Amino acid sequence: MPLNRPLIVVLLLVLLAALALVKRGGREAELREGRILLGTLVEIQVPRGDRAARDAVTAAFAEMARIEALMSPHRPDSDVARLSAAEESLEVAPDTAEVFALGLDVAARSAGAFDLTLGRLKALWDLEGDNPRVPDDAEIAAALEGIGPGALRLDGRWVSKARPDLAVDLGGIAKGYAIDRAIAVLAGAGIEQASVNAGGDLRLLGSRGARPWRIGIRHPRSAEELLATLELSGRAVVTSGDYERFFEVDGRRYHHIFDPRSGYPASACQSVTLVADSAMLADALATAVFVLGPEKGLALLTEFPGVEALIVAADGATHATPGLAELKR
Amino acid sequence: MIAALWRRMTVLDRFIVALLLLGVLASFAVLGRQPAGARVLVERDGRLLFSAPLGEARRVALPGPLGDTLLEIADGRARILSSPCPHKVCMGMGGVFRRGELIACIPNRLIISIEGGADQGSPAYDLLSH
Repeated sequence: MPLNRPLIVVLLLVLLAALALVKRGGREAELREGRILLGTLVEIQVPRGDRAARDAVTAAFAEMARIEALMSPHRPDSDVARLSAAEESLEVAPDTAEVFALGLDVAARSAGAFDLTLGRLKALWDLEGDNPRVPDDAEIAAALEGIGPGALRLDGRWVSKARPDLAVDLGGIAKGYAIDRAIAVLAGAGIEQASVNAGGDLRLLGSRGARPWRIGIRHPRSAEELLATLELSGRAVVTSGDYERFFEVDGRRYHHIFDPRSGYPASACQSVTLVADSAMLADALATAVFVLGPEKGLALLTEFPGVEALIVAADGATHATPGLAELKR
Repeated sequence: MIAALWRRMTVLDRFIVALLLLGVLASFAVLGRQPAGARVLVERDGRLLFSAPLGEARRVALPGPLGDTLLEIADGRARILSSPCPHKVCMGMGGVFRRGELIACIPNRLIISIEGGADQGSPAYDLLSH
């Protein structure tokens, strides 16, 4: 059949239309992927569905897995496990050194309310494990011996412990750093808008389309209720609450945020939400303020310009930094 | 060229051309507007393990490192009926049905999500901090 027949022209048109439809069907408006990393569900959202965006999300997850391999206490070859077992000073990866630098700064400024040496205490309570229990006073006293802001020293990439039996735990800061790294990888790949949400601790890249992201803050005593909705672009939000991981004995709740001064779960707050430019800083400060309580916690935050907080105290009263009201929707 | 082709066409040719063009336009209209039905997706370690329409009732055993997690799809919702994990947080998450909603079993490394379907009353926020 000669190619100038009208039927051929029409069939080519049909083929073009079909191709256009296939392309249209394959273009997703939003990319949303989840992985289990750092002991929680990590979700990355990018409002693009093209190949470059998919590759960037895969690279961001790989970066978080790399940080987990460096900082998980459960992996024998991680920097944290090696440091806990070490009797002498140890050279750590540049990422680990960066986390120690900020962690030790917050530990010192919060007078030890935030602590990087709670490894023995956390192992004793076993809150993350199968058989959590309330240890006796002697066990707690032994686990607290030698801890505190002065228990670790960072010199370049070398970390040394004041006592060989100290066990390091980056539980209150490593997740924030991993979120920051994921955002850096996404931004480096040319992504302009995204969110990285690791079990309710999150950081945003840019805005959500033409408007800011709307971040709901969970009420600590009612899962269905929102404490507030914040409108944010390009910032990090981390919430520490007593409702996330806990067990109960004789009607008393024992949760996962420990007061390094008593060795028991901190009792001054129900939840603390921190807004900062980095998820690592928000993560560490949320723990510090949770332990310090509203009054001392807000006093500490005056040292960190641009950081905002929403605190629900143990009695249910809410406290906030002066700038938080501007972020509320 | 089109005018030359048109002159050379018989009445039947023109009828067939008109019919085909109509078919193309109709397929644009129908396929472009039709929303995809909601589906339940199960992933483990970034790989799709299982996928099924949310509208079809069924029970599926999902294998994970700790053993089988039992997923139930019924009444347009997906939920975990039983799980070998220690704290059973996934069972406590209840049923999911909205686009984008998730159930995760961290110890058994399973992520169950809802994709596609109409937007059914999404919450007033994009992300929840907790």
